[in-house]
Amino acid sequence: MENLFKYAIIRIFQTLIVIFVGLTIVFFAPRLTPMDPVQSTIMRAYSLSGIDPSAVKSLVETLKDLYGLKGTIWEQYINFWKRLFKGDLGPSLSMFPTPVIEIIGKALPWTIGLLFITTLIAWFLGIVLGTFVGYFPDKKISRFISIIITCIYPVPYYIIALILIFLFAYIFPIFPLMGGAGIGVKPTLNLDFISSVIKHGFLPAISLIIGTLCFIFMTQRALTSTLISSDFISFVEIAGIPRRKILLYLIRNSMLPQITDLTLFLGSIFGGALMTEIVFSYPGIGQILYTSILQSDYNLMMGISIFSVLGVAIAALILDLIYPLLDPRIRIK
Amino acid sequence: MKKFLLILLLILIVCFSGEVIPQVLPAGIPRHETYIVDQIFRYSVTQNFNIWTPGAGPTPVRHGLMSDTLWYIDQQTGKWINSLAKEPPKYNKDFTEMTVNLRNNIYWSDGVMFTADDLIFTIQTIMQTPGMVWNAELNKYVKSVEKISNFSVKFVLKEPNPRFHYYFTVRWNGVYMMPKHVWEKVKEPMKFTFWPPVSLGAYIVKDADPQGYWELYERREDWQRTSVGIITKKPGPKYILQIFYGPIEKRVAAMISHNLDVLMDLDIEAFKALLQRNPYARSWYKDFPWAWPDELDSRIFGLNNEKFPFNIKDVRWALALALDIVELNTKYVGGVSKVNPIPQPPVPFLMKYYHKPLKSWLRSFKLEIDKGVYFKPFDDTVPQKIAEWAKKQGYDIKGEPEDIWGIGWWKYAPDIAEKLLLKHGFKRDKDGKWLLPDGKPWKFSIVVAPDELDAFRLAMGAVDQWKKFGIDVTLESLERDPYYTKVQIGDYAVSSSWSDACSACAANVTIDKWQYIQGLHSRYYAPSGERSLTGNSLRIKDKKVDEIIDKLSSISPNDPKALELGREFMKVWVENMYGIITHGFKKFITVDTYYWTNYPSAENPYSQPNYWFMGGRFTFPHLESTGRK
Repeated sequence: MENLFKYAIIRIFQTLIVIFVGLTIVFFAPRLTPMDPVQSTIMRAYSLSGIDPSAVKSLVETLKDLYGLKGTIWEQYINFWKRLFKGDLGPSLSMFPTPVIEIIGKALPWTIGLLFITTLIAWFLGIVLGTFVGYFPDKKISRFISIIITCIYPVPYYIIALILIFLFAYIFPIFPLMGGAGIGVKPTLNLDFISSVIKHGFLPAISLIIGTLCFIFMTQRALTSTLISSDFISFVEIAGIPRRKILLYLIRNSMLPQITDLTLFLGSIFGGALMTEIVFSYPGIGQILYTSILQSDYNLMMGISIFSVLGVAIAALILDLIYPLLDPRIRIK
Repeated sequence: MKKFLLILLLILIVCFSGEVIPQVLPAGIPRHETYIVDQIFRYSVTQNFNIWTPGAGPTPVRHGLMSDTLWYIDQQTGKWINSLAKEPPKYNKDFTEMTVNLRNNIYWSDGVMFTADDLIFTIQTIMQTPGMVWNAELNKYVKSVEKISNFSVKFVLKEPNPRFHYYFTVRWNGVYMMPKHVWEKVKEPMKFTFWPPVSLGAYIVKDADPQGYWELYERREDWQRTSVGIITKKPGPKYILQIFYGPIEKRVAAMISHNLDVLMDLDIEAFKALLQRNPYARSWYKDFPWAWPDELDSRIFGLNNEKFPFNIKDVRWALALALDIVELNTKYVGGVSKVNPIPQPPVPFLMKYYHKPLKSWLRSFKLEIDKGVYFKPFDDTVPQKIAEWAKKQGYDIKGEPEDIWGIGWWKYAPDIAEKLLLKHGFKRDKDGKWLLPDGKPWKFSIVVAPDELDAFRLAMGAVDQWKKFGIDVTLESLERDPYYTKVQIGDYAVSSSWSDACSACAANVTIDKWQYIQGLHSRYYAPSGERSLTGNSLRIKDKKVDEIIDKLSSISPNDPKALELGREFMKVWVENMYGIITHGFKKFITVDTYYWTNYPSAENPYSQPNYWFMGGRFTFPHLESTGRK
């Protein structure tokens, strides 16, 4: 117990260092490129109306001041941490003065909802199917499932997504072409909104499940194939243990790498699913992050990255701490 | 059983393929009363109508529906429209005062009358709020703004400016008016979201998607008390829904199923696919060349005039003569664009004052290839050559080739291009590839933003043609913002651009060119490494250009000399070939006539079809329902 406690403290400390380094990199990296949020704003705001050339200089200085980009890079860095400890992520520069937290707050629930659910479903189905097919490779159904998944796996995500749209939003127009909910449907906890969200999220969810499921299936099938030649499996088969129970033993023993994958998948959902959002016109954080990078919106990039870094770092920490619970062979010294 | 299921599946495919499934609109919003427009992009900022703050509220479409300003110039007809002002601006003799007389019958959507107080308040608020759009310009020019009466305002300027009214004259937009009775209570104007907004247009916001994919507008009951209602005397659709479906394929799918009534642009392949599946769809022309050719901009291969060897005029000309414009036009953009030799959009109004009158000069213009040896580069048969190509494709040509494909372009003369290069010490290696005078291979890349479809395709064409000529050219494709950065700081050799790189490529439907060429003055010159935000990414620095701009600055835009100076500028450009202008700007603005008809077209060009510009407000009222429900 004392070992576990010491280990936990050390890992938490390491996690904090990882977060600090991650956020520092995110702070400095965009500032070292030639892209400039002030120039980007001027370009977007004035590209069609035309700016008076003599007004450019004063506008640049005004915007720098408004955006908090005056002062040395170190002064900006210190201010960034001061604001962060107060929970203030600052205003978005490309959507000034909308607070970053407001933008993230609107988009993140959609991302978390979609990716969390689809990741869990895909993971669960992948484990079950992969174990079944790995243990019963000669059954017709196993061969059928293997062929289907082997054919789908190499197909780029974008193609799968487009096929789903054309099949189920155009040829058989069962699902809508865009959006997270119906036009005019208010986000409240009532049947209208929930059913609208399910209807709009169905195709994006299926596309994500297919992609993740294929990957998990492949890895689980491979793990199961390795495990079935183990002594303990031979023993339980000889002992006449029901096949259902043997499958559970196989799942339990192959859980460690799969839990690792799941935890890291879940940690990375804060980065969004850009391709899904673009193809399905589905709301989420991915497109916002992409746009913020293109428009040099330092604050928004950092705001989203904070969630992403925190998500992955905490996921890794939780993983390290729960390993001994999952696998009794692992002990902390 | 299997056969039955297969037959059922086939029946379902036939039945549902492109079936008219109405867009799911909110309850009480009938489809036949709703005009659905392409929103063009997903809004990052939603429920924020503070369009005076750069980056806060997005403006396409909504600024036409909700905002207003003093004057407009219709981009199709060139017609001057008095909107909030009842007549054009009145200047004093030395252009230090501008008087504006307003209409006295316009109301905000909350019933408050629009008066001089709103105009004065708008100007003062913008001037006092650093960072607001037009803050810098108004502070530069406006000494004071005075109320003469409830409907009359006098601007006193700090210096003579015969073009001060341009800030209130719409091509894309103009100074948007603020409702004083709302904004005077606002303590921090830059942070105010102005949601829900009070409208000065014919529509109010009924609902908006917090995720930025759609906005629903409803026509005001008192639409006759807006400038749109007064001028057009027509109500227009009861509802306008702007919606962003996503990538081009989905917009096409939406239009095929009659869930989108107008969209901004498509590539030619998507357009043809749409025509095959939707007999109600059309663009500006009913048949070839389909697309609307009159957007006020031009395509250019921007050459960095600061970098060797593009700083040599003959090299720039050589690159132009090594291009086969007929092939560029037909093979790469489908023969649907107007060729254009001068930095002036080839739209009917401007062709009347610039392109056609300059034809004789262009025909007689000579390049000196060698001492005493001259070459006339202009080819006025280019439109006829494209017309020949079109006939071979089976297209029926209606109208004169010059009106469809422009007045002509430069000859495809690689032999002359070669002579120009040899003159400056360029050589060919044993494989025929060009070497710079120092013996190194001549290599460069064309930087382009791939979402600008025509620019991208033209860049591909230039790569092919210049490679064939013997130059090692590659394509560098960058997303929009990094593309802007690279071009603006001069970190490029050649770009495939439009007015983003050279302000002179764009124009308003006016004879006066000052507004779009003033940024080329050397006082605003930014060397490579520094950003050029005044539309001079080509790094043009020429005393002749400076003189023309200085002379234009000192005269009224209505002075006959403005036209002479404008033409002079075109000639200086041609002589120096600062950048290779290739085409006008075309757009496949596509309409579905299933539910709505009478959108502007080539047969009926009553108004501008580019609905996302602020002047699009005057187009919507003319729409007529087909009666289908």
